[in-house]
Amino acid sequence: MTTEATFEYDASVIGVEVPIGTFDITPERVAGYLQATGETNPLYTDEAAAKEGPYGGLVVPPGILQTVSMAGAPNAKVKFGNFSMHSGQRMEVVGPIRVGDAISVAADVKEVYAKTGRSGTMVFEVRRNTFRNQHGETVAVSEMSMVHRQAGGG
Amino acid sequence: MAEQRYFEDVEPGDEFNEHWTPTRESVIGYLTVGNAEAGNTASRFTSDEEAKKIGMAKAIVPGAFSMVMASRVVADWMGPEGKLHSIDVDFRRPVLHDDTLNILALVTDTLEDDGVPTVKLDVYLENERGERPVQGTALVELPKRG
Repeated sequence: MTTEATFEYDASVIGVEVPIGTFDITPERVAGYLQATGETNPLYTDEAAAKEGPYGGLVVPPGILQTVSMAGAPNAKVKFGNFSMHSGQRMEVVGPIRVGDAISVAADVKEVYAKTGRSGTMVFEVRRNTFRNQHGETVAVSEMSMVHRQAGGG
Repeated sequence: MAEQRYFEDVEPGDEFNEHWTPTRESVIGYLTVGNAEAGNTASRFTSDEEAKKIGMAKAIVPGAFSMVMASRVVADWMGPEGKLHSIDVDFRRPVLHDDTLNILALVTDTLEDDGVPTVKLDVYLENERGERPVQGTALVELPKRG
């Protein structure tokens, strides 16, 4: 464990990618995602219209990758405070996703850092997921920030 | 095909919005896409009882679901040839099932970064209690006319 000022975490996981598995972009999953999000964009829903679009055919909303279960993803095991929560989410879209793609998912902890403001010190852990298609091309990268702090004015 | 928006037609200060009410059914539908068992498992995202155990008033909406809904509104505004490069949001408060939400976006800058026509936006979710539980930014690329 690494100790920095008042918090501890497992620094050995920083930047070390762990394969999580493969997420198949099946028609059933895409249909479920379109229904849950109320998506009607013709790029995703209308094959004839999408053929005239920039990708020459139907593509899949990149947000579908946010539904992937990240069980088994590395965790820096931050020891700080008595409260933690999901404080932010980021998605970078790199390339198109299509039905039939097999998306491999890899996860690492990008960084752990502390910030001190008016409400005290907070420790942020940024967990990163990289999504690559069956050709090895990165199609998206997402980051989830967890904040750890002392609740109750500590 | 949806209406195409062009870089030349966009100015800082332009706003757009869409309403969204996340229901229990839509949350379970979202969770089930990536995990077929998710809808059968009681969690803070699907069960009021579980959410109350962690101090929430009722079941909450996964943060990533709120983010992708904001990205959907931005994508609809761009039209088919627009490209969403990134979206980055902070969660300030929980979003609850059945909240009446307004997803808003505001153009904050237009620039041609290395010749790429780029638009920066602020994005927000506002609820019926006057709170902004989710806020952030998005970076998109729009085509130029001609």
